[in-house]
Amino acid sequence: VLLIPIMLLGIAIAMVRRSSNTVLSSNTVPSSNTVVEGPRTDAPMRLLRWATGLLSAQRSEWGQAMLGELGSIEGRGRRWRFTIGCVGAALLLPPWERAGAGVLAMFALAMGGLGLYASVIVRYGLGSKSLVGVAIVSIFLLSSALAALVLLRRPGIAVPGLLGGLFAALVWLAASGFTFFNLIDRVWPAWALPVLLIAVPAVIGVLGTLRGGSAAAGRRTARLAGISAGLGVYLYGTLAVAVLGAGGPPDDSGFSANYKIDDRLGNNLIFYLAFLPLVTATIGWSAAAITARIRHLPDDADATHLPATSYVSTATAYVSLPMPMPYNAEPTVRGGVAAWPRSARVGLVSVAVAGMFALAFTTGLRG
Amino acid sequence: MQRNRPPSAQTINVLRALSADPVQWRYGYDLATEVHLKSGSLYPILVRLADRDLLETSWEPGQGSRPPRHLYRLSAAGRDYVATLAPARAGKTAAHRRSRLSEA
Repeated sequence: VLLIPIMLLGIAIAMVRRSSNTVLSSNTVPSSNTVVEGPRTDAPMRLLRWATGLLSAQRSEWGQAMLGELGSIEGRGRRWRFTIGCVGAALLLPPWERAGAGVLAMFALAMGGLGLYASVIVRYGLGSKSLVGVAIVSIFLLSSALAALVLLRRPGIAVPGLLGGLFAALVWLAASGFTFFNLIDRVWPAWALPVLLIAVPAVIGVLGTLRGGSAAAGRRTARLAGISAGLGVYLYGTLAVAVLGAGGPPDDSGFSANYKIDDRLGNNLIFYLAFLPLVTATIGWSAAAITARIRHLPDDADATHLPATSYVSTATAYVSLPMPMPYNAEPTVRGGVAAWPRSARVGLVSVAVAGMFALAFTTGLRG
Repeated sequence: MQRNRPPSAQTINVLRALSADPVQWRYGYDLATEVHLKSGSLYPILVRLADRDLLETSWEPGQGSRPPRHLYRLSAAGRDYVATLAPARAGKTAAHRRSRLSEA
């Protein structure tokens, strides 16, 4: 109950911060580079613009080439086909550098978690209904690994994100005393909840922002940290279930052994593969937004700088243009929360803060 | 370290399409259409060719709302490479045919 308003607060802060910075960054783009009559900004163009942002700096020219080509393609079907192909290429185009090892590690964690989950089902004979669970776990693990792949390709995110994930995972394991039972039944000391849910994500968000020099870097670092920590702790938790089964201190719940194992597997999924990444990303997001506001850092440092003019053309028939158009530069459009009056945005944050304190107070009274 | 693996059939198709008129600059989309390649396959091939200095690239200025487009053509090294490629591939194909005939 307490966490929902905390996450709402995080989202509210981040939205307000992001909105104000959208306007700020669009105003700071040099006028000579502003797209006055730029390419069509339909869904394929937006998708491709996002995907080409994942390319390393030395490949940015190819991202611009894809965008330029898409700008000349007519027909919705053709544009989508071209875009989807280019998105795949942008995701996989080398060099991967440090990100390659990170992606391998993430997929290894995901596959390890899935393999252990399947082995527990087979070993304890949990029945055919558990196959639905395998499908759900597969979707979660694959989505997490793919999300990690996208974040790892972002310049300057891989190392702090993975280190943040390692840090978060270690704190989660330390809170359980590095014991299997405490982890899968979530037996935590009193200090654990505020540290796990607020302090650790906030530290990751703050450090990611300071290191990356922008709120976006902090957000991405927190997201990658959350995903990688989630994958790691989930693997550890599934290993705990594989070792303990229905074992542990005696209880009088009256549930069958299979029910307990199934319950533990399900709780692992919800807590470590969904909740942990979500809370780390959300609180880290708001911490990044606050840090950027306090330190006067831009929302996204990449979006306000043009790609390097690193190539030399040997053209004779055409004029050589170094990185001709800043496709990453968004036009000045105030939408969503940014279009709200400042008082309304402050009100949104105030309501979230008030709700958080009210619920915290109510929870305290009950406790 | 850059590896110089033998070119794939798709890469050879791209090289042949470019070598049909080596002086002519080509658009990526037109090239993909001509050699029946998806953009997801074409661009990695173009990147590899450019990395190996077999390809020259340039930009065509945008016109009105049309954005600038990237252009490609074979470099001198690329033309030489295609020239050496054709006999080698032809020789390889002939040898393959001979071995199949002898097996028959």
